[in-house]
Amino acid sequence: MKRDWVILVCGAAAIGALGWSGDNYFIRLLTILCMYATLAQSWNFIGGFAGYPSFATAAFFGLGAYTSGVLQNQGLPILMCWGLAGLCAAVFAVLIGGAILHLRGHYFAIATLIIAEMLREIVNTTPNLTGGGMGLNLPILRISVDVQSRVFLLAMLVLAVVTTAAAILLQRSRLGFGLRCIQQNESAASILGVNAYQYKTAAFGMSAVFVGMAGAIYASWVNYIEPPDVFDILIAVKPLVMVLLGGIGTIFGPIIGAMVLLALEELVWRNFLTVHAAALGVIIILLVLFLPNGLFSLLKDLSAKRAKQ
Amino acid sequence: MSREWTSKLLTRFAIAGAILGSAVVAGQAQETIRVGAPLPMTGPLAPEGAKQKKGYDLWAETANAKGGIKANGKTYKVEIVYFDYASNTPRAVQGAERMITEDKVNFLFAPFGSGASKAASSVSERYGIPTIAATASSAEVYDQGYKFLFGTLTPNETVTEPIANIVTSKNKDVKKVAILARNDLFPLAVAQQMEKSLKAKGMEIVAFERYAIGTMDHSAAVTQMRAARPDWVYATGYVNDLILIRKQMNELGLRPKVITMVAGPAYREFAEATGPLGENISSVAWWHPAVRYKGKDVFGTTEAFNKAWDAKYKGEADYAEASAAAAGAILQLGIEKADSIDPKKVRDALASLDVETFYGKVKFGPSGQITSLEPPVFQLRGGKTVVVWPEAVKQGELEFFK
Repeated sequence: MKRDWVILVCGAAAIGALGWSGDNYFIRLLTILCMYATLAQSWNFIGGFAGYPSFATAAFFGLGAYTSGVLQNQGLPILMCWGLAGLCAAVFAVLIGGAILHLRGHYFAIATLIIAEMLREIVNTTPNLTGGGMGLNLPILRISVDVQSRVFLLAMLVLAVVTTAAAILLQRSRLGFGLRCIQQNESAASILGVNAYQYKTAAFGMSAVFVGMAGAIYASWVNYIEPPDVFDILIAVKPLVMVLLGGIGTIFGPIIGAMVLLALEELVWRNFLTVHAAALGVIIILLVLFLPNGLFSLLKDLSAKRAKQ
Repeated sequence: MSREWTSKLLTRFAIAGAILGSAVVAGQAQETIRVGAPLPMTGPLAPEGAKQKKGYDLWAETANAKGGIKANGKTYKVEIVYFDYASNTPRAVQGAERMITEDKVNFLFAPFGSGASKAASSVSERYGIPTIAATASSAEVYDQGYKFLFGTLTPNETVTEPIANIVTSKNKDVKKVAILARNDLFPLAVAQQMEKSLKAKGMEIVAFERYAIGTMDHSAAVTQMRAARPDWVYATGYVNDLILIRKQMNELGLRPKVITMVAGPAYREFAEATGPLGENISSVAWWHPAVRYKGKDVFGTTEAFNKAWDAKYKGEADYAEASAAAAGAILQLGIEKADSIDPKKVRDALASLDVETFYGKVKFGPSGQITSLEPPVFQLRGGKTVVVWPEAVKQGELEFFK
């Protein structure tokens, strides 16, 4: 556990230092990395620890983005809006979780899949509040480009660190233990006295709060949001792929997965002008086929081998 | 064996030499103006992206063939840097930043459509890079007080007022209008503008339906509209939506006196896909090959532009293609006027531009959107477009369904 904290602090410091000295595009990439690390880490709470495959990430992200956008346009201070966006996403997750968390496996996945669609339609049909299909403008920060890019990197980095800290705490806690029991055998866990329903709802809420805040920061960062962008299904799928890539149910797996997937994406995007989507798909399939337990397991295997020798 | 090896080695040297050589050539030709163009080359907006690319390519080719752009006592070649954002707006924004910071583009063309242009313009505004939007017409795109964004399509009311005037003045029996709009920035904004223009004329709006992006069945909306018995159906969307709506209107027996669709009928694909069903559909476009202007830009007259287009791509350009070519031509006029490639100076030159081009008169309003175009109204007849307004370029009269 102590080692986890050390890695977290060193990693965050490294990203911060890299960002401080890099150019603005590099900072943008790091900001995206921190954002997806937050999303992947959050997905891991419900998908990794509890074993409930959720596609609701896009819903929480969009909800956070729109909550913060609408509130900022009412004149509320930006940090307060970000916080309220997280709170709103968590409350929403707990309420909706109460309704769908009794579903298991594929049924749960499908139920979460439609949450984003539902929210997207609600946003579309309330143009007076949210701008509807015309999108929503956010107040632009009148500070220099260089400062702005660093401010948003810092915000996303702090969020990613907090999310990872939550994962470290969760792993050793009673809640984390209960969730792992649920993942292995929910019926048995119930018999042993784990209140599965409460535990799952808590995990679902945890998987929403940081995603909502990430959505809020994202909205302030890009200044303009529209429903197809923030409720994009890819926002739900990519974190899942990242966790699978990095190592499901681990602390640093989601972050490694986010790094690898985004680096691959950027490389492929640069080098194949038109077939990037196909090339990326092939790479992901190969990785999942040959490394079913994620890259993190590879590191573990290596260190185990070395220990034997 | 060893000979084979030697020849392999030689080939490698040759390739390396060629790469080095080209690098040296690139090094010599330093005087290049690089323009970034994030485009949806893949994904649902790919057809629209291809149109924009054709326009930019023709401009770059024409400008280079005529000796490049002259400014600051130097001659610059034009190079367009493309980036595929896969019809995904956040990618377009990311691409815009990458082009500015890494590819060091001097200027930018905005991505396709109002929404993405608006999103990407926040990046170019932060960096102070003049950006020309060839396919963003909604006033909402330009309402943020940005200084570096310019648009080559006039505000939506310029495409709703003329047709409202013509229809109401020619046929007093047309009183009830049904509107069907795609829930997306431009199509929804233009439909709302149309509603305003029609209400101002005392027309009755009997239905106003919205459909989601990617809708594959309009039968519910069309049936509801049929129940309201409209004289005029006004539908907005992009070409694939409108083809489907026209077909379903026919199947479900919705037969008004006037059908107007924006912005599909201007494209050849629409006439080809609807066939006889396309007959008499009216529409508005920001530009039409039948207009005649004597331009001071790199293309010259409208006839000369049509000829250049036909020579490269065969056939006629539609408004989106012409607007993309015009975006390039206008940027060139701005650079030449500023006599510099300094972004700030070019921005000021663009803002004060007042000149005729093959595309029409070019003058930008205070928000950066062009104010000087007269978008022609036209009607499909026998698979061809017939311009019915403005008077100067008129090819026929507006006809009504019997």
